[in-house]
Formats: sequence, structure tokens, C-alpha cells
Amino acid sequence: MIFFKFDRRIFQHFDWMLLGLVLCVCAIGTLNIYSTGFSASEGQSHFYLKQIQWIALGLIFMMVIFFIDYRVIIQGAYVIYGVSIVFLVFVFLFGYAAHGSQRWLGIGGFAFQPSELMKLVIIITLTRYFDDHKSNEPYKLKELSVPFLIVVAPFLLILKQPDLGTALILIILFVSIVFFMGVDWKSLIIVLAGGLISMPIGWHFLKDYQRERLITFLNPENDPLGTGYHIIQSMIAVGSGEIFGKGFLKGSQTQLKFLPEQQTDFIFSVFAEEWGFIGGLVLIIMFIAIIFWGLKIALQARDLLGTIIAFGITALISWEVFINIGMVLGILPVVGIPLPFFSYGGSAMLSLLAAIGLLMNVSARRFILQR
Amino acid sequence: MEKRHNLLNGQEPAEFRQKLKIVGSVLLIALSLLLVRLGYLQIIRGAEFKQKSENNSVRFRNLKPLRGLIMDRNGIVLVDNRPSFDVLYIPNKNKGNELSIEKLKNLYRNKSLEFLYDQSISKTAKPYLPIKLEKNVSMEKVALIETNALDLPGIYVDVSPIRLYLDGEMLAPVIGYTGEISKEDLENSDGKYAYGDILGKHGVEKYFDAYIRGRHGAELVEVNVYGKEIKNLGRIDPVSGYNIVLTIDADLQKAAGEALIGRAGAAVVLDARDGSVLAMFSAPSFDPNLFNSGISYEQWDKLQKNPLSPLSNKAISGQYPPGSTYKLIVAAAALEEGIITPDTKVLCNGSFTLGNRTYRCWNKHGHGYVNLHKAIVESCDVYFYTVGKMLGVDKIAQYAKRFGLGGIAGIDLPNEKGGLVPTKEWKLKRRKSPWQMGETISISIGQGFNLITPLQLANAYSAFANGGTLWRPHLVKYIESTDGKIYKEFLPEKEGELNLSPKTIEILNSALWGVVNEPGGTGHAARLLNVEVCGKTGTSQVLGLPENEKARRAKRLAAFQKDHALFVCYAPLKNPEIAVAVILENAGGGGAVAAPVARKILDAYFNGKKKLKSTQVIAHQQLPEKLKN
Repeated sequence: MIFFKFDRRIFQHFDWMLLGLVLCVCAIGTLNIYSTGFSASEGQSHFYLKQIQWIALGLIFMMVIFFIDYRVIIQGAYVIYGVSIVFLVFVFLFGYAAHGSQRWLGIGGFAFQPSELMKLVIIITLTRYFDDHKSNEPYKLKELSVPFLIVVAPFLLILKQPDLGTALILIILFVSIVFFMGVDWKSLIIVLAGGLISMPIGWHFLKDYQRERLITFLNPENDPLGTGYHIIQSMIAVGSGEIFGKGFLKGSQTQLKFLPEQQTDFIFSVFAEEWGFIGGLVLIIMFIAIIFWGLKIALQARDLLGTIIAFGITALISWEVFINIGMVLGILPVVGIPLPFFSYGGSAMLSLLAAIGLLMNVSARRFILQR
Repeated sequence: MEKRHNLLNGQEPAEFRQKLKIVGSVLLIALSLLLVRLGYLQIIRGAEFKQKSENNSVRFRNLKPLRGLIMDRNGIVLVDNRPSFDVLYIPNKNKGNELSIEKLKNLYRNKSLEFLYDQSISKTAKPYLPIKLEKNVSMEKVALIETNALDLPGIYVDVSPIRLYLDGEMLAPVIGYTGEISKEDLENSDGKYAYGDILGKHGVEKYFDAYIRGRHGAELVEVNVYGKEIKNLGRIDPVSGYNIVLTIDADLQKAAGEALIGRAGAAVVLDARDGSVLAMFSAPSFDPNLFNSGISYEQWDKLQKNPLSPLSNKAISGQYPPGSTYKLIVAAAALEEGIITPDTKVLCNGSFTLGNRTYRCWNKHGHGYVNLHKAIVESCDVYFYTVGKMLGVDKIAQYAKRFGLGGIAGIDLPNEKGGLVPTKEWKLKRRKSPWQMGETISISIGQGFNLITPLQLANAYSAFANGGTLWRPHLVKYIESTDGKIYKEFLPEKEGELNLSPKTIEILNSALWGVVNEPGGTGHAARLLNVEVCGKTGTSQVLGLPENEKARRAKRLAAFQKDHALFVCYAPLKNPEIAVAVILENAGGGGAVAAPVARKILDAYFNGKKKLKSTQVIAHQQLPEKLKN
């Protein structure tokens, strides 16, 4: 098989720049997690060690995916999709809950969140579909119904957990990729209208407390305390960092544990408090660099497959960065979306490093594939 | 070998290039927006936020809801709420609040008040989560803290509702009590509870907690350096819980409680017509108000270690051998199976021999020739040994199960026990040994493996009394919302049918009447002059059947080895209204000890209301005392 044949050229075109940028963000993120777990009176918690383990495991994942030609991976997209859906159903049936949401599957002592993986799987699956259905014309309703169903199934399963942030990301990815492929405006309006109409039906499937969360999400005023409190504390933390920050391990909002979800969704406010505007600027510029590198890979890919994959992954990273930081800075509603490579969390780290592996895969093979 | 050419045969590559460039510009703008916002927060408003972060001025306060009231069937409030004043402390490390506790101790000392909190503040305490220093403090302490508030940064008084059990011990094991959520419950609660939540720990409070609890409110306030609120940033009002209306009649409950005073055991009064619980008393009881302000370790230890286990509701979780009260079931089985007729006679000469073992009748002189009626009225054991042996254990079990024994009755309370109805299969499975005929002999007079709860006993006789309908006993009549509207009503639920022929019922009914009303009947002490009572006594042995009855009687038994006294009855004879079961632990004979207790309850039910008006009842009251002698 040609796809597995060792080819020196994939090393010649190995994307050191992308890997370097991502590892940089991961490293700063781990230091930051170290800071959240650090407390003068209690010593150090183990979060950062776990994060290092996840990064190491993620790098192995990344390399494995890098070596398998992305065309082979896309060939298996529907199978991967099916398996992931089965995982989500498992979560629904046997998964265990934490913080009021049933998201985790226990696999050999590890807690795994299939919904995080689903983000990447959706990109692969939609790529496969659009590659199979190339068209000169903007896509119409009929052609969009299948990708719509592909996204709706995991969307509902994840909404049920409930994990609104991840569910939202799936829809955003769908819309982004569909836009990118070109869409017939009338069809798009019909799809959106259909979505709006089907909402009340989905409403019936939700439990009372799930509905409450949705209401709170759509209307944060409804819960001025829970999320309102988070946002206020987050803004105080960020703002108090001023230009140069309070210094590593010195953020008082963080050290006094005022911040909710410090290691995960609100990790950026910890960073901004301790490193100030300078730190925040550097980090956001690094994210911009990763994103533009991703767009460059999409631009240079030698086939449509590569372009869609690279675009999808870049879209995922961009949206997550934008929504997460926007939420922490109080300009977007609070949804549970982690900051890529930065937030504490194994499943997200694994999926994202796998995504980077795929991105490097496309990047390295841009000269290999014949037109 | 596959070699696919992925020609861009769709849109022109240039088109995607164009799109990617647009995407890039949009992203650049969006991410720059984040930088602008970051700059605004950190550079323009930085100083303001820095000051706020130093003051930790935003505080989150939980507003506890009022738990629903619990009332009796006539709307008499049994459980209410009252305000409790707690002293809270916020361990803000920035401001030397540690000194406040010392100051508070000094203030107390000057007024010779005791400071009860002797733990050190945990280092893991979150600075925005207040720590409870003292619960349920006196008004004197509240006044002291309020007047010295400026000297005590970090310390303040919080008002929250706590339970007030107006009937004290009367219903404690049934209604239960409340307390702060335990660590394990919190971890298993799936986010539905929060730290410091009050929840029902036992009985009705636990079973209906979801309804009674109500919903938390909360508020977000900005406070000044002294911890005084200066601005309310948001508030959600708490929602009071639903009220629970019990089927319990408070007056009857009181009568049952008074009748059982000084005893260990339980009494259950059911409405024979629909299975609603009119009274349920478990003795000894406890004061549920102890748990309100956090029970002290000594008090808890005392309650836990009390051998009479006051915390458990013996009416539903105490399991006892049914003794002779079981004879109704054996008799019904024998009649229905055609093994005996009312005229079948058995000679009782005081004992029954099987193989080389002798089983004694409680009357060592023997009853002579007895038919079914006499066997029940005088509770002849030999008659039932004979009949039981003919029936066999599995047939008896089959009928016992129809009477609702051997499985929980399904009352709306936690921790109900199901008792035990042995069968051959059960013994082989659980005890790994085959059934012995001798065990059937014991079973037929309600000894041996048999176990029942007082509730099951009352329910079985209630089913018999009403002509054969086994109801699911229930304690809650309805749940009402705070504005008094019925939110959820609990209608009687049929659990099963006895399926006894009218003839069988008639024969046994008359025998049970005889137990209380005929000369020689063992349940004489339960007799009422104006109401016809039917019942059955029971005396269940705590020790196994002894070889030598005489030696056992002669020996002074230790208190815990004495027999349990049982009495179960229903009244009136025609169209029975209530069924009463009384079990007194280690109290002696059922007829002598339990029947008089049941009589007091029956008297309260049938004559209680009249007593207030008429004087002639006094004569009634005195008469049964004579009967007892």
C-alpha cells in the first residue's frame, strides 16, 4: 500500500513550526495549571503532573496519526464516526457524572470524554462527505441533509449529557464547513428554520434541570448568581493583572480560590492575572500564529481533502479560542468550552493533539501527492 | 493498489484561496477584538479591578428555602420552621480576620457565655465560603455580635430557617429529622445539593425530601471592608417546599404514644377501609429537635448505643416472630384447602409429639377436645400443630404471602423491612439444609423462622377485616403547595386480594370476636363495652422452644429474653373501620400486656371525642380494668 510506504519526504517537510508553537502553548498552559494548584498553605496539587502525562500521551497519538496518510484516515471516516457515536451512547447508558453532567466513560482507570473526540470526528466525517460529493454549484438542501444528520445525532446525545458548550461547537463546525464549501442561501435559511422548529421537540427530551441550564445559558440574567458570579470574579482577576501582571504564583484571585473552574474553562483569567496584559498579548499572538499556520496549510494542501481537513481543524481551534477568551473577558455568555492546549483536561488535549497530527499530516504531504 | 487522483474537480482552487483569505481577515479582526477587550480590562480599568481583588468585595450568599410544613389529617401542624441564628466567619487571609475570633471569645468571656466552636479553621477553607462558628445561638449572643460588628471583621450573624417539631417525640421515628447534608451524600448528589444544604435524614422528611425541600435562592452582594452589604448585585428568591398532609390523626397518635409509654415496641393503627395509617408509634422515641442545631457527639452516641434503638421506626423496621397472631393465616389456609371443617376436633392434652420431640401447648393441662372456634379463642397450640403438619410449610407460606407477609407492605417511608415467610426452597437456598417437619410445627404457631413487622401485622388483619382487600398502607394523604392547593394526592392503592370464601371469613370473624368477647378468650383485656372488637393475641418467644417448659417458666428470665407481647385487632365487628397492631418487646404475654394497650387506642378512637362531652364514659373506662383482673 502506497499510503504506508515510508517516504523520506514527509520528514523533509515535517512542520516544526506548527509543532513548536503548539508545544509552547502546552508548556505555558502546564505552568499555569501548576499555579492554580499551588497554594502557600497546602503545597502543590497533582493537576499539572496529570496534564504533562496527557500531553505526552497526546504527542504519541499525534505522531501515529501523522504517519498514516490522511487519505487513509478519511477513507475510514464513517467507521470512526460510527464508533464515536457508540461511545456517546455508552456515555448515555453507562457513563458517570461529575458536576451535574454525564460526560465521562471510565476506561481502565482513566476518565474519558467521548464528546471531546467527537469534535475532531465531525470534521473528518464532513470532509469525507464533501469530498465524495464535489460540486461546482453551491450545496442545496438535499445535499446538506446528510451532513446535517451526521451532526445532529451526536449533537443531541451531547446536549442530553448536558454539555452545551461541546454541542454548540458541533453546530458551529457544521455551519463553518458548510459555508466554506459554499451553500445555497435559500437552503441555508430552510435548514436554520428547521432547526428552530425542531427545538421545542428536543425540549421534551430534556430533564427539568437540563432545561434550567439551557434557559440560563440563553439568558444569563436568569441566573445572575451562578454564571454572573463567575463572570464578575473572572473580570476582577483579569483586570487586576494590569499591564505586567502580579507574577507567577502570585495571583490573589487565583490563590484565594475565588475563581470557579480555574483549571478548565476559566484558565485564561488565571494567566491574565499573573502575567498581565503582556502575557495575554503574547498568548493570543501565539494562538493567532497557530491559526494562520493552519490556514496556510489549508491553502497549500494538494487536494480538496487536505484543504477541508485543515480548514475544519483551524476553525475548531479558532472558535474555541475566541469563545473561551471572550467568555472569560465577559463579552460572550458562559459556555463550557475549554481553551485549546491550555485548559486542564485529558480528553480535549488528546483530541486536539490528534488534530494537530492531522494538520501536520496534510502539511507534510503537500508535495508528495501527485495532482 | 489504489491510487486515486484527488483532482480538484469541484470548485476552482482559486475560489477556496479567496475564501481562506476572507476567513483569515475575519479571524484577525475577531482575535484583535479580544486583545482590545483585554487591554480595556487590564490597562484602562486595571486599577479599579485591582482594588476590588484586594477587598474580595463580592460575596455569594445562599438563601435557604423554608421546608414545607407537615400536618396531620385534620390540618394540625406537626412540623413547622423557626429562625435560627448562626455565627459565620469568613477566613479572609488578607485582613487578619483571625484576630476576630479571639476578640469574639473575649467578648463572650466578659459576659460569661460559652464559645462552643473549638475546632481550628481548616486550611482548605475557601475564603469566599463562610465557616459556621456557632449554630442556633441565643439572642444574647446575636445582640453582642451585632453591637460589636465593627470590631469583628469577618464575623457576622446569619439567619436561616430550621425545623421545629411541635409534637416532640410523638412522631419522631416516623417523621424523622433533618440535618446538614453529609459528605458522602454531597458527593453522590450529582450536583443537586450544595455544601451546607439541609435535608431529611429519616422518615417522612427523607422520603418526601424532594417535595418538602423547596428550592434555594441566592444573592450576590458587594460588601465593604467591614463585611456590610453596600450593593445587591442580584438575587433569586428561595422557593418554599410543599406541605405534607399525613393520614395520621394527631389525637389518636397521642393516645397510642401514651399507651406505649415506658415500653419498647410499636403500635400501628390502619384505616381498614383504605390502608391509610391513622397512627404509628415506635417506642422509645427521641426528640427530633435535638438534630436541628447539630446534635452533639455525646447525644448522638447515646441515641445510637441505646439498646432499645429509639432512632429506628419499629413499626416498619422491627421484625418479630408473629406468635399466635399467625394462627389466623394457618386457619384460613386449612379451611380454604379443605383440610379441616369448623367441626373438626383435635384432642389437646397439653403437648404434641413428633418423632422423639415434644411440642407443648401454652396450657400445660391441655384444652381437651377443641374445634377451630375454641382453638382460636383459647389459642390452643396443639390444634395448630396438628393442622399445620397437615398443611405443610409451603401451603402456609402461600397464604401468608396473600396476607402481605414475607415482603414489604410498600408504605411511603424509607427503611421498611419485609419480614420473612419461610419455605422449603428458601431454607435450602439460604441455610443450605433441607426443611425439617419439626420446623413446620413451629411455623404453624408463628414461631421459628417467621418474622413480621407491626405494619405487616396490622395490614394483614386489616385486609381480613375489610373482606379481603390488601391495601398498600400509606402515610401521606396529599401534598399541597404553599398556597394550599393540592399538588399531588395519594389515593388508596390495592396491593392484592386474600381470595377467601365468605364462609371462611365468617367462621374466622366469629372466632376472632370470641377471642375478645367470649369467656376463656385470650384477648379479654381489649374489650370495649360499646364497640365489638375482634382480635388475636400473640406471645412470641425470644428464646427457641425450650425442652423443659416448666424450667423455663420457673427461671427468672433476663429482661431481653422475655417474650414479645403481641395483640392485633379490628373493630367494630360489622363494617370494621380500624385495625390495630401492638407489639411490645420483652414485655410478657400478649393477652396480659399488649391487649390493654390496644384497648386504650381503640377507646381513644371510638370514645375519644365523646369523652370531652359526656361523663358516662368514665364508667366505661373503669370497667375494663376489672376485666383485666
